[in-house]
Amino acid sequence: MSIQDDPVQREIHQDWANREYIEVITSSIKKIADFLNSFDMSCRSRLATLNEKLTALERRIEYIEARVSGFEGIHRKVLFT
Amino acid sequence: MPLVKRSIEPRHLCHTVLPRGIKNELECVTNVSLANVIRQLSSLSKYAEDLFGELFNEAHSFSFRVNSLQERVDRLSISVTQLDPKEEELSLQDITMRKAFRSSTIQDQQLFSRQSLPIPLQETFDLCEQPPPLNILTPYRDDGKEGLKFYTNPSYFFDLWREKMLQDTEDKRKEKRKQKVRGNDRTLETEKVPRAPHDRKKEWQKLALGAELAEDNSEEALKEREANGSATYHDRSGAPMYLEGMDGPFSLAALPYSQMNELLNRPGDRMYTRPHDPPPLPPMHPLGDIKPPSMISSSSGFSDSRPQSPAQMHGFNSNTPPPPPPPLPPPPPPLPSMSSSGPRGTPPPPIPPLPVQQQTPAIPPPPAPLQIAPGVLHPAPPPVAPPLHLSSPARLQQILDKGPPPHQSDGTVLPPPPPPPLPLPGARISSPCPPGPPPVPSFLSGAVGSPASHSSGKKHSASLPPISDARSVLLEAIRKGIQLRKVEEQREQEAAKHARVGNDVATILSRRIAVEYSDSEDESEFDEGDWME
Repeated sequence: MSIQDDPVQREIHQDWANREYIEVITSSIKKIADFLNSFDMSCRSRLATLNEKLTALERRIEYIEARVSGFEGIHRKVLFT
Repeated sequence: MPLVKRSIEPRHLCHTVLPRGIKNELECVTNVSLANVIRQLSSLSKYAEDLFGELFNEAHSFSFRVNSLQERVDRLSISVTQLDPKEEELSLQDITMRKAFRSSTIQDQQLFSRQSLPIPLQETFDLCEQPPPLNILTPYRDDGKEGLKFYTNPSYFFDLWREKMLQDTEDKRKEKRKQKVRGNDRTLETEKVPRAPHDRKKEWQKLALGAELAEDNSEEALKEREANGSATYHDRSGAPMYLEGMDGPFSLAALPYSQMNELLNRPGDRMYTRPHDPPPLPPMHPLGDIKPPSMISSSSGFSDSRPQSPAQMHGFNSNTPPPPPPPLPPPPPPLPSMSSSGPRGTPPPPIPPLPVQQQTPAIPPPPAPLQIAPGVLHPAPPPVAPPLHLSSPARLQQILDKGPPPHQSDGTVLPPPPPPPLPLPGARISSPCPPGPPPVPSFLSGAVGSPASHSSGKKHSASLPPISDARSVLLEAIRKGIQLRKVEEQREQEAAKHARVGNDVATILSRRIAVEYSDSEDESEFDEGDWME
């Protein structure tokens, strides 16, 4: 049985090694996916904050421009996205 | 549970069918797993690229905005250094004639339409089974609709809502017109009466032995008036009285004679017929309670209770006279300018809350109406929110005395309404005539038409004496505006009937919203403001 054991054992050994290898790869893939998700979320939230600040700034600038230029060039702008 | 946006393709590495005739199955499984791992990596990289692409696009658009902002800031800084305080124009005309400041309102629309679907979700959607090809039947249909629309229509709810909005705006316009008509009648009636009761009151006061007796006399006089149905006097006394203190004799007194008749004829509407003059809802009490609800409901009524609209018509009658509502949510700049121009003792009240709620507008019908009202309606002085407790006839006199000054300043008061209404009418009028008129032309025409569109009040103001020559141009514009408005009404009807909306829908829709809110708030004379993202 030792001879049979060796090849079978070797195979099983090899199989276990392969599986561990694959497992390492798949867990790395999962980490990458996880990282991408969290990066996406954080990026979007930061961009949204940026967006809010930009919008607030734009409104303030419009107001200041109106005050400085004396309402002449102000038309009612209604923009839709 | 979050929606899966991107799913990596081979989900199970080894759930494959092994081919037969393989000796070393373990190796086979290993190799299959490794191949699937590679496929997973490829789909992962594809999704990562897509993800970063989306983020990049957003950041890129932000960079554009930031750059333009930077330029504007630079220009501003330069122009500020060039500002010369001596060049400031301080003429009254300028302050009143200038257009009110309106910031550009960018509204997010059509957020969840088919076009805004992200790409990975679109791909997932494409994997689904297609609906049956009912569109091949479309050429054979009589009514011209697409065949697939009967099976599945993604824009169904949106269309439904759009139709409802259209309908609402039309209804409100009609009601407004009716109210204007009635307002015209009422203002004509009330204009004739004003001075007589006042004289009587003075006589009474002269005869008074003391303050208390004078009050009693005034109350008796009011009761007599009530019995006689001379409502206008009551209105004048009631309105200025700001009703909180004065309920009993005045609450009923507020009804004009004509309204009383209507009241008798329409029992169901009794609750709402008050209003009449004091456009601004003096928070009246309970019989006076009827008034505030009526006033508030009248102002917010359209939004709240549509079925009551006929009943509220009466309620709006009072509001229409003050009409030329500076429809716009009196943004702070115009307010101060207007308040400065109008020597109102009553501060332009809590207008800020305006844009947000529809019920608050009941109280606000702000300064603009205040300023317009005096000239138009009559000396009901800016009965603004501040509930003045008028108990003494002396105060009555004060209030009545305020009447004349409003007349004098009426001319100056007029201009403010035109500027504020200008922007709105531009939106209003453009909404019914959707695609064609770009905002500016319609805006300009609306600007002319706005004064007229805003009400009989303006017509009355046109007819009233105290308009200085400087305003003659404005008068002509108003008259032209009246004509323009008729034409545009027709156009509006046509446009509404044809429903050419198409997919300019977003803009039209939001304009309808603006119109609707401006209509509903016109009674309370406010514009929608907070439809921001």
